[in-house]
Amino acid sequence: MLTVEGIHKSFDDFKAVKGANLTVEQGELVAVIGPNGAGKTTLFNLITGQLRPDRGRVVFHDDDISQLPPYQICRRGIARSFQIANIFPRLTVFRNVQVSVLSQQGKSWMLFRPAQKLAVDETNSILESVGLLDKAGNAAGALAHGDQRALEIAIALGNEPELLILDEPTAGMSAEETTATMELIRRLADSRGLTILFCEHDMEVVFSVAQSIMVMHQGLTIIQGRPDEVRNSREVQECYLGGAEPC
Amino acid sequence: MFDMAALGSQFFVGLSRAMILFIVCSGLSFVLGVLRVPNIAHGSLYMIGAFAAYSITKWVAGPAGFWLALILAPFVVALVSLVAERALFCHLYQREHLMLLLFTFALSLILGDLVKIVWGAEYKSIMAPELFNGSIGILGASIPRYNFFLLIVGPVVGVALWLFANKTKLGKIARAAAVDREIVGAVGINVSWVFAFAFVLGCFLAGLGGALVAPTVSITLGMDHNLIIEAFLIVTIGGLGNMWGAMVGSLIFGLTQAFGVLFWPQFAIVFPYTAVVIILIWRPQGMLKSVW
Amino acid sequence: MKNGSNLKLFLLPAVLFVILLFLPAFIPRFYVYILAVIFVTALLAMSLNMVVGHGGLFQFHHGVFYGVGAYAFALMITKAGLPMWFCFIVSPLIAAIVGLLIGWFCVRLTSLYFGMLQISLGSLIWAIAFRWYSLTSGDDGIHGIPVPDFISSTSSAYYFILIFFILCLICMYLIYRSPFGSTLEAIRDNPERCQAVGINVRLHQLMGIVIATFFAGVAGVLFVVLEGSVFPDMLFWVFSLEIFIMCLLGGWFSFAGPILGAAIIVSLRTFVGAYTEYWTLILGIILILLIFFLPEGVWGYILDKFGSRAKGTVEGGSK
Repeated sequence: MLTVEGIHKSFDDFKAVKGANLTVEQGELVAVIGPNGAGKTTLFNLITGQLRPDRGRVVFHDDDISQLPPYQICRRGIARSFQIANIFPRLTVFRNVQVSVLSQQGKSWMLFRPAQKLAVDETNSILESVGLLDKAGNAAGALAHGDQRALEIAIALGNEPELLILDEPTAGMSAEETTATMELIRRLADSRGLTILFCEHDMEVVFSVAQSIMVMHQGLTIIQGRPDEVRNSREVQECYLGGAEPC
Repeated sequence: MFDMAALGSQFFVGLSRAMILFIVCSGLSFVLGVLRVPNIAHGSLYMIGAFAAYSITKWVAGPAGFWLALILAPFVVALVSLVAERALFCHLYQREHLMLLLFTFALSLILGDLVKIVWGAEYKSIMAPELFNGSIGILGASIPRYNFFLLIVGPVVGVALWLFANKTKLGKIARAAAVDREIVGAVGINVSWVFAFAFVLGCFLAGLGGALVAPTVSITLGMDHNLIIEAFLIVTIGGLGNMWGAMVGSLIFGLTQAFGVLFWPQFAIVFPYTAVVIILIWRPQGMLKSVW
Repeated sequence: MKNGSNLKLFLLPAVLFVILLFLPAFIPRFYVYILAVIFVTALLAMSLNMVVGHGGLFQFHHGVFYGVGAYAFALMITKAGLPMWFCFIVSPLIAAIVGLLIGWFCVRLTSLYFGMLQISLGSLIWAIAFRWYSLTSGDDGIHGIPVPDFISSTSSAYYFILIFFILCLICMYLIYRSPFGSTLEAIRDNPERCQAVGINVRLHQLMGIVIATFFAGVAGVLFVVLEGSVFPDMLFWVFSLEIFIMCLLGGWFSFAGPILGAAIIVSLRTFVGAYTEYWTLILGIILILLIFFLPEGVWGYILDKFGSRAKGTVEGGSK
């Protein structure tokens, strides 16, 4: 479904990503892991169009999407949530999600119908599936951290994506919140038939949930494979136990 | 239709005008770079520089008056900007940038009327010293001596600024604050004073430009508005906050305007604007890199 | 955008409207004239707020579109002798086209630089109007524009303007509540996120600009109806920033705030202007007081003191 081939990105002299590869099959739950600074968020930004690759390609359903702007990539079926809560703080929770639903339905150009009557059911059903329905009328900026992360995901769901990309969905969460969030993600994947790509650096979380794991280190892909393959891989062990040199 | 001599003269006239623009715009760029705010009051300060130069030449007659004006007027302007900055502006540094910009607009309104109150509404003019009478021939074209003087002053100021920004500690701190004010604050430097300094320096340059231009134009109340419109354009096409961009932008603007005067005097203004529009279509972010 | 029943929402404006309908019969002609000026200016301020308060763009030279609408109307009537209704419809369209052209350049820059560039580009139009003496009479402006008899008296002009003012307000209100309006607000709050949910941010912003400049053009036409003249000052950027101050003063996060701001500034300008020629100085002082003491505007201050905002909007400014 999605392939990333040999992608490179530098910022002035700093090589954030220097040859990353990734394959995501339809219906899978894929995780990208690696220590901080490995380039995971940069990789995601390259996939969803916030950054353009210097070299390499991103291919989605046989189309090269490497040079497309974010809004076009979204329209092709890839939605994403951000590591730092990237919501609409002054709007209500309901409107936060409604914005993406309306965009998905192509209604963002409508001028003379009242917005509050449109896409109500879809929005409410998404809010319900992430457990935010009772807070629909609150200002998004005033939500607790965990709720904001849930809202992040809800906004992305509004786009009815095929592929949902989650950037560190459990960042800053306690153990229970983490489990709850991963449960939520797994449930969403099943009920909506989503393919999910996420990144994390909490190993336990990843190994319990993901079907395919890609390991990144200093901008490179070390290996991608099933959890037990990765766990037993010598290269991964060397990278994490060895020195600072890239493998 | 046009002989080479006329073309050549006009070229140098445009060039010298570009030097004035550069001096003023480098100040604007500097403030833009460090404070990230387009200083709308920049034109008013330029105007005050010109009027102050006028007053000084009235106070001290002859060539001495002129040279004194050239030196003192920018400091007068710097003082005005310092007062505005310490009294009011600095309290806004924590606020969003729009508030800073609106403050500079309010300042421009107030200063504009203050000039009217202090100096009245009639045109003023000053004469350059006799030293500058007549023209010099360069490469077959004749250029007024005063314009030639400007051709020297411009690059001198540019080099001085460059040296300051890159070789002195204060300059480097200012540049660092332009890129990341939080880190500069975190290493114990008083960011508010850095901003104050940048603002005052930028305004000093505006005043210098005003004093330099004074012998070549009529000193009027509309100077501030005319200047700020051009200055914004120059800084935009040059690259926001980039001093060399200000030079490039000023050259383009000054030269196209000078040639425009030759071809279509009534609407000479269209030429620089056309150049600007073309540049903006081609490179909306400006020709050189912006400072951050 | 208030919560609460529809009845309560429309009660106050309805009462106001009735009062305004009957007012000309009771007050001196000069005050009727001032009210009409307030309506025109308020429409202009509302159109600006569509882009600024609602859309989050720093439209610093909105006055250009107002001036273009007015000049287009004036020139088409005086020089081309076209029928009034045609001019009335086409002038705002011309303003909107100019808005599209200038807006296209400006949306490619972010925040303050958008505004900076707009001041400069718009000033080109001012410069042309100023210097093209044969067409626009330059600094003198155009006077004695023949306005049809049925709206040539102050009262009839008043009613004409009031009706169109209300119509435009209703239009704007509908747009604010529409999906497009909602999207614009989201873009104001977080343009990056909007991109990520599939919204073409620039195109939407441009559309918002086109709509707003259309209304500015309408305001320009109404100005000519009232005054029978146009002046290059309408195109000058200081005037544009004066409108910006009106939005700020009234409260730019509310729907009707700009109307309040326009009313205050026009009244001040008229009455203070009678005593001093230094209105600009006073305007600057007002702006400074606003920045330091009333950043959310008069309306925002009132809402703070006397009630909670329905949306639960968060304090603080835009990015």
